[in-house]
Amino acid sequence: MIRYIVNRILQGIPLLFIISIILFVLMMNMGDPIATMGGRSITRSSDRVRLTRQLGLDQPVYVQYLYWLIGNDWAKIDLDGDGIEESNGTRRGILRGDFGTSLVNRGKPVTKVIGERLPNTLLLMVASEIIIILGSLLVGIYSALRQYSILDHTITALSFIGYSMPIFFIALLSMYLFAILFKRWGLPYLPTVGMFDPQVGKTTAQVLWHMVLPVFSISIISFAAYSRYIRSTMLEVMSQDYIRTAKSKGLPRREVVYVHALKNASLPIVTVVGLDLPLLLGGAVVTERIFAWPGMGRLFLDHVSRLDMPVVMGILLLIAVAVIFFQIVTDIVYAWLDPRIRYD
Amino acid sequence: MKQKLFFVLVVTALVLTACGGGVATQAPVETEAPVATEAPATEAPATEPPAAEAKVATFIWTQEFDSLSPLYQGMWFSEITQQFWLCWAWQFNEKNEAFPYLLTELPSVENGGISEDGTQITMHLRDDIKWSDNEPLTSEDFKFTWEMFTDTKNTVSSAYPYDNITSIDTPDEQTVVINFEAPFSPWLANLWQGILPSHILRPVYDAEGTLDNAEWNLAPTVGCGPYVFDEWESGSFARFTTNPNYWGEPPKIDEIFVRFVPDDASQTAALVAGDADLGAFIPYSDIPQLKEAGMTLTTEPSGFNEGWFFRIDDKSHPAMHDLNVRKALAMAIDREAVNRDLLLGLTKVPASYWDSLPFYNDPPSENYPYDPEAANALLDEAGWVDSNSDGTRDKDGVELVLRYGTTTREIRQDLQAVAQQQLAEVGIGVEISNYDADLFFAGYGEGPAANGELDIMEWSDAPGFPDPDVYYWLCSEIATDENPAGSNWFFCDEELDALIQQQSTQMDANARQETISQINQMFHDNVYWVGMWQDPDVWAVGPRLTGVKFSGVTPFFNITEWDIAE
Repeated sequence: MIRYIVNRILQGIPLLFIISIILFVLMMNMGDPIATMGGRSITRSSDRVRLTRQLGLDQPVYVQYLYWLIGNDWAKIDLDGDGIEESNGTRRGILRGDFGTSLVNRGKPVTKVIGERLPNTLLLMVASEIIIILGSLLVGIYSALRQYSILDHTITALSFIGYSMPIFFIALLSMYLFAILFKRWGLPYLPTVGMFDPQVGKTTAQVLWHMVLPVFSISIISFAAYSRYIRSTMLEVMSQDYIRTAKSKGLPRREVVYVHALKNASLPIVTVVGLDLPLLLGGAVVTERIFAWPGMGRLFLDHVSRLDMPVVMGILLLIAVAVIFFQIVTDIVYAWLDPRIRYD
Repeated sequence: MKQKLFFVLVVTALVLTACGGGVATQAPVETEAPVATEAPATEAPATEPPAAEAKVATFIWTQEFDSLSPLYQGMWFSEITQQFWLCWAWQFNEKNEAFPYLLTELPSVENGGISEDGTQITMHLRDDIKWSDNEPLTSEDFKFTWEMFTDTKNTVSSAYPYDNITSIDTPDEQTVVINFEAPFSPWLANLWQGILPSHILRPVYDAEGTLDNAEWNLAPTVGCGPYVFDEWESGSFARFTTNPNYWGEPPKIDEIFVRFVPDDASQTAALVAGDADLGAFIPYSDIPQLKEAGMTLTTEPSGFNEGWFFRIDDKSHPAMHDLNVRKALAMAIDREAVNRDLLLGLTKVPASYWDSLPFYNDPPSENYPYDPEAANALLDEAGWVDSNSDGTRDKDGVELVLRYGTTTREIRQDLQAVAQQQLAEVGIGVEISNYDADLFFAGYGEGPAANGELDIMEWSDAPGFPDPDVYYWLCSEIATDENPAGSNWFFCDEELDALIQQQSTQMDANARQETISQINQMFHDNVYWVGMWQDPDVWAVGPRLTGVKFSGVTPFFNITEWDIAE
């Protein structure tokens, strides 16, 4: 198993390299980061020339990629525009742990930009994922065991309603209902935006209170999808011969369902969860934007709209690494769930 | 047992991860005590609630600051926030008239502050102004600000207007003498918007050779406004508290809490729910709802007008060279209806690029009326007729189909749809396209506007408000292979070019007004630009706030008089 893991990690290195080249080239062809540096007016031509030179954007794409990868502290650059490359570069490149500095928040290291947002996203997304997985397991198993019951039909109908609604609609609707209308009706109401009320301060209770609506919005759609998925896999497993055998042996129903059936039904679910987990790092773009939650999704959107290449590349690489990591974890969990799977 | 242990481990890990994030009460990294070369350390920002009796006003900004340093900011929201914690040499009142702030009086030819030839401006500073760490604010700070803006080791967002200054003399702590190579008439609207604290930043510059990485840029612990910076949590909020060493009238509100809410609908919901006291850039469609919720809506002219910029050169459609076609374009669009229906009648059609500067829009321009019949006649006269009966006019085998592009902003796309329909009624075809702002405004070689891929370009822009200065149409600014950074994506008119250059050096207001009037007339007669709607700043003010006034240049010029009603 260890050999397998090491092999997978080694395979991931060239993969990351290829991903980085593709993303970098795509980013460099998306527009001009200097275009929006002039505020509400077009960037002045003299500033455009100077910034293009100072930020190294006048270099060919392959040189910019090389600097991003291995740094430019070994090269001379022309800062004052006199045509003479007189100054040493200061970047060390990602291979030496330097992800660069943000073009938007000039001078702020990319690791710091991302590091400030990642905990907020994990807080929101992990809470949502726990609710989604636990809730959908309960509902999915219940629906499978009581197929075609009134409750199963009701859950199915609600799932389709939840799944068919766009998240921005759910988010805005829930905000309007639970924050504005509840307040108007004199009921206990939820906050609209942010992580805490400035009059109260950033307490744990405040943050949890402000998480309710975003977590609800994120959960409702995935909850609907997951519960349907679990229901179908459980139905399939419950009709297998070995379950019938387990029942014939007189095993308690609880053991049959939660040990024998669920464990095997979990294999495809683990695949889906394994693919979803790295995306948690990317945050929920729409939900974070609507509820003004300071997470990775908003960070990505804000910086990609201004073509902040170092930050965007940092986020994308982080997700790429997470995808590879969680795929390895998924494979390990497969082996744990199904003893027939061996990687040696 | 194994499963239970696994479950407990997972839940514990998740809870620890979650608790390590946003709920933490520890200070964010960027607001840690500054390094030795920086400002005297302020306390690490507290996440505890403010004192019970503290008056906290919550403002919503729909865009987060890029930087708080005047050197590196390229966003309006960053700029207007300066009035809380930083100083401009002068500010502008609700009539957009300048008044001295750090100066004893505004320089003028009459008081000797401006030399007869206009190449030297002398400013006298107040003797009681000081930074929030009690250090005096002196002429050295002004000179340092100029040096940093023009130093090529700093990647400043814009070196303008400081790159017009040739030298600065500081004969004493209260006197700043600014020397220009040529008279620089737009000085009042552009100079000294945010002074840098030399005693804080010079040691950083000396140590690092640049200010690009100075902590002060993102956590400016020392300022000179009525408030001081306290905390900025990325993506979430920024907090400003009262400056205990403020040299002016102390503010009545104890804390300004700026919350970043990027979504327009969420901003409106937060304002309606009473979760914020002030919002900006309010969508017109939300104004009735906000009024109903008890908010006061204020529109403040800031010089901006939404309009069509025409390209008239060898890359444009040949019809764009024909004045009758351009007049027909102006007359074929029902702009009054656009303002009435798309913008709920809350705006008007600007008659001129200088519409919000009445002094310079004198005599006032008159709009071309909506008159499709006259537009048809003009097109017929110009020889553009539908010879092949395909519904679109043509001439010499060229179809009259214009390329009309703008950004992805919703209201602009609405206008495109209306324009396409109305222009089709007079036989003008339109190919519409939309781009993200960073692509649309990208320079020559990348951007569709700069590359000449569009005949009609639409966005909101302003002269150097409250100054009338313009520079886009300078012939030297034409974007070409040799001058790819050029910001003139339209045409070169040498007569117009001469007038634009002339006005930028005229220090006499009346003479300059005369020149701008000539430019204004040229714009109107030649239909170089067609205004669609005035684009003032729209503010929503909550019922708790009192004493609120706005300026279109320095919106928070009287922030110390703002209060919260009990």
